[in-house]
Amino acid sequence: MDALLNPILSYVLLYKYFAIFFVVYTGAIIIPWPANVMLLAVGAFASQGYISFWISLVVAVVANTLGDLTDYGISRIFGDAIIKKFRIDKVRFFIRLKEELVTDAAVTVFTTRFAGSLSSIANFLAGFVEVPFMTFLWFDLLGNIVEPFAALTLGYAVGNYWSDFSNLLSLTAGIIAAAVLLFILARMYRRMMHKYEEK
Amino acid sequence: MTALTTAKIMRYIKYAMIALTAVLLLLTVLFVWNYAALMRARIISDREGELSAIVQHHGPLTASDVGLIRPWMTFDYINTLFKVPPDYLKTSLSITDASYPRLSLSGYAKYDVTSTDAMLTEVQQSLDTYLAATTSSTATTTAK
Repeated sequence: MDALLNPILSYVLLYKYFAIFFVVYTGAIIIPWPANVMLLAVGAFASQGYISFWISLVVAVVANTLGDLTDYGISRIFGDAIIKKFRIDKVRFFIRLKEELVTDAAVTVFTTRFAGSLSSIANFLAGFVEVPFMTFLWFDLLGNIVEPFAALTLGYAVGNYWSDFSNLLSLTAGIIAAAVLLFILARMYRRMMHKYEEK
Repeated sequence: MTALTTAKIMRYIKYAMIALTAVLLLLTVLFVWNYAALMRARIISDREGELSAIVQHHGPLTASDVGLIRPWMTFDYINTLFKVPPDYLKTSLSITDASYPRLSLSGYAKYDVTSTDAMLTEVQQSLDTYLAATTSSTATTTAK
């Protein structure tokens, strides 16, 4: 991860908020940058007086939300054509997934914000299954405020020793991603079980 | 959708849930192991006041912290971090690049055709000299 993170950190030190915006925005779209670890470092830079904590937070929230909206917009506009071309609408699992995602849209959008790369997949899926725009926007924004705030605050708190906490942060993101996926699958399973028993 | 298909999907979901639970347990064990390592290194302390540890991590860096310098850091950032005059490193390392201090150590090492490790050592030694000199002059002033 260092091979990817080190040039990013150099760019953050050189171009500050523009670099933060670029990394968070492209990371939110699909590129698996270590954006959370970068935000941990940015929090530490803020504690050392090199960068502003609040401007970094605003930039990260805006970039993350715009990135998520880009995914959502792309799949919302081109989703139908792709679904028809590849006949995905005939795949039973997709039909089931669509039903579940629309029923649980708010919870799914909010919880997947904390699940790293899973959030990009959730954005595309939300567009495909046509989750209402305002539902997506509000729950996305809410999750996007909490997530960078947590990473920046931790970086700010641990200061000069932020790099010692980067593994811990990556593991936390992994635990949250697995837990969120487990939670979504458990809800899906419970609902299907209920319908199955009714039949 | 037939009941049979539903049963099949449910079975797959069940397998996925079992696999995810195993991943979750493994990640939790790794998390605890990492946390314990930070406690052993006295970076996280459960006995001392949390605030005092945090304040220590925010103080200006001293000569004993030069090991924290990494090749991705820029000269500008190092100057801020160690409270060094902006042109000190430029003069002591005879840096001629016009983009100084907005230049990373690894970037300058490439420009200067020096190995990054050699560049890092030079910067650390230079900072060591400056910080030792300022610490002793501060001590002398305080004694007077």
